[in-house]
Amino acid sequence: MSLSNGTLNVRVARIEAVTPEIKRFTLVSTDGAHLPPFSGGSNVVVLIPHASGTYRNAYSLMSSPYDSSAYQIAVRRVEDGRGGSRQMHQAVNEGDVLEILRPVNLFPLSKHARLHLFIAGGVGITPVCSQLAELRLRGTPFEVHLAVRGAEHARLGEELQREYGDAVRLYRNDIDQRLDIAAVVADRPLGSHLYVCGPESMIQGAIDSARAQGWTDSHIHYERFLEQGSAGEAFSVTLARSGATIEVSPDQSLLEAAEAAGHEIPYLCRGGACGMCETDVLELDGEILHTDDWLSDEDKAANKKIMPCVSRAKCSRLVIDC
Amino acid sequence: MLITGIKSRPVYDQLHPLPGGTHHLIAGQGSGGLAMLRLLDDMAGEGLNITLLYSRESFSGQDFLAQLQQRDIADLRIYPSNQALVDDLNRVLGDARMGTRLYLSGSESFIGTAMQVATRYDMNSDEVLREHAGSFVRRVWCVHCDSYTENVTQRVFQCPGCSSMLVVRDHYSRRLAAFQAVKADAEVPGELPVAEELDT
Repeated sequence: MSLSNGTLNVRVARIEAVTPEIKRFTLVSTDGAHLPPFSGGSNVVVLIPHASGTYRNAYSLMSSPYDSSAYQIAVRRVEDGRGGSRQMHQAVNEGDVLEILRPVNLFPLSKHARLHLFIAGGVGITPVCSQLAELRLRGTPFEVHLAVRGAEHARLGEELQREYGDAVRLYRNDIDQRLDIAAVVADRPLGSHLYVCGPESMIQGAIDSARAQGWTDSHIHYERFLEQGSAGEAFSVTLARSGATIEVSPDQSLLEAAEAAGHEIPYLCRGGACGMCETDVLELDGEILHTDDWLSDEDKAANKKIMPCVSRAKCSRLVIDC
Repeated sequence: MLITGIKSRPVYDQLHPLPGGTHHLIAGQGSGGLAMLRLLDDMAGEGLNITLLYSRESFSGQDFLAQLQQRDIADLRIYPSNQALVDDLNRVLGDARMGTRLYLSGSESFIGTAMQVATRYDMNSDEVLREHAGSFVRRVWCVHCDSYTENVTQRVFQCPGCSSMLVVRDHYSRRLAAFQAVKADAEVPGELPVAEELDT
């Protein structure tokens, strides 16, 4: 597949279990060269081959942006997901070669912030890991508030505590340590920025708490786990440029269905955040189920645009400009 | 050499209450007082936490202090000069918390220097509104001696810092809060461009 940002071949140098559900993969280039540079908060899309096609899952880079000899990603096994993370856990071994896309950053640090506050749940800590490496060099103060289920899920947080000390606070649900998001955002100096990565309820809770205390949206940043596009009802879509009509199954996104049928739609994040795959809706008989963070509320109401990576439709006819 | 229609010049707002703020800082000078009074009317009765900063320095002699003093503002601070206000704004923002909203009204020079302070505290466009008042006389920065000249109205003028004859370029720097001026006769000494009134 030809893409503006190209693909890279990487060798899996190391796989380690860091929690019962999370494996950390260390990826190096196949020819010993350094990998492309990236900034804290970046992710890569991993192309995961399986019996009937390719999964494309985005994973945050958790290694230091100042060491491009290797990339590290953490993959949480999602039992009831589409199968990409299961495949990564079961079928990928040390020494294997994987194809990935070059890093892109959809969760960058604010360059002018005076204080960085991070709120993370579970595997949501991974983008923060690379961001902290960047902040340490820059010298800007930060705090990390990480909630995990229990001791066996705390390893990434404990590693960060060894590295960054008291700036990293760990909350274990099993011993009733509660992360009070409203208290984290309370009474903070002007120029503070909040970054949230975790389950939907955590993100919404953090947005609500910050807004309630007068924070504006330009100081609130979040990254969702990217699973929302591929669960729903089947529908069909016609790609106007080729005239092809494609069936989107309940466990596929529109983008995945188009790719499986051999069509190319430009994409970056595959999570409804970056805007790359924005497509005009030419005909619609029914409604679009928008689940992206990109289109404005007005755009969503107008139903003239769709984000094929996450959004679905409930309709008898949908024609898009692809 | 000079470009008309200055794209780098900020586009100013109209002051109106910004939603969600926990503390509202209203800072202005001279003619800006009128917009401050209008904003206070819009905010009246909401029980908002308001601090008012007003400088009586004015290019045109406009002074709205008496009217501002008639308003029921718990924290009204008065300054003899724009610089004194901006210095205090720096202290106030240094102690301020998230949830603060900033409203600026006055000359371009005043708004520009106040914005330099707000930018230091990483205030963004959803936390700050700026309303221009009075004339568009320019604050000019000399690229040669790094001095600033206030209230410039002529295209060509002599720099009080280095005595060079300068031509004011149509480029506004937000970082410097000033228009850029360069030596007017650098190529042929003594050959000056036509003197003209600035599109102030």
